[in-house]
Amino acid sequence: MSWSRRLAALLPGAAAKDTGGTEPDARFTFANERTFLAWSRTALALVVAGLAIVQLLPPFPGVPAGRHLLGLPLIALGAVLAVAAYVEWMRNQRALRRGEPLPQSVMPWILAATVTAVALVAAVVLLVSALR
Amino acid sequence: MTEPASGPAEAGDEPEERVPGLGRERTALAWTRTAISFAALGGAVLKANVVTGLIILAIAPVIWHLGRVSRGRADETSLPAVGATRLFLITAAIVAVSLLCLVIAVFGHAAPGVLR
Repeated sequence: MSWSRRLAALLPGAAAKDTGGTEPDARFTFANERTFLAWSRTALALVVAGLAIVQLLPPFPGVPAGRHLLGLPLIALGAVLAVAAYVEWMRNQRALRRGEPLPQSVMPWILAATVTAVALVAAVVLLVSALR
Repeated sequence: MTEPASGPAEAGDEPEERVPGLGRERTALAWTRTAISFAALGGAVLKANVVTGLIILAIAPVIWHLGRVSRGRADETSLPAVGATRLFLITAAIVAVSLLCLVIAVFGHAAPGVLR
């Protein structure tokens, strides 16, 4: 499937046209929506954290780009998580409608890997600035 | 000691899941928390860029109102179709806000040392 078709499948109109299966229990629909909202809040928290690091932290001595190195990936991760949360919500809703097993989520893996990477970079930046 | 649950969990296993209305209320509260998160982000951005902060702050009541749609007009059977549009709007808003914050982070005037 081409990228344009994949992007078109993400639009709300495509979700409304996907009427395969039967309507799931309203509680499952609500739970799916709450999971999406929880990921959205996580994305917003990452954006706030990234912006605070860049705008409010004092510069690291000897590492002029240190704050940007730590903050910008967090802001970008916020945007990625928001889109991924929407895709996950659509996939889960489709699976619920069709009575299929819920698809495995890669979002916790993405979040854990990126936060770990940023933490390692933070440790290196702190170490370098302490040695200067 | 309670007996361990046998078999796969179903909707209604948990006491708070037995009443669908509570799920609706929890979802409404989740929408409110999301709106508050937008307001908090707007407040934080205000420090860096007033116009962008006000734009993000203005999104907060819109998000809160979108959450009210799920409680008010839409009946439960039409929720998935209604939900797709609302959730798409939230996603678009977060992506736009993230891009704005990226621009502010790269080109904006910093106030270093506030968190010293």
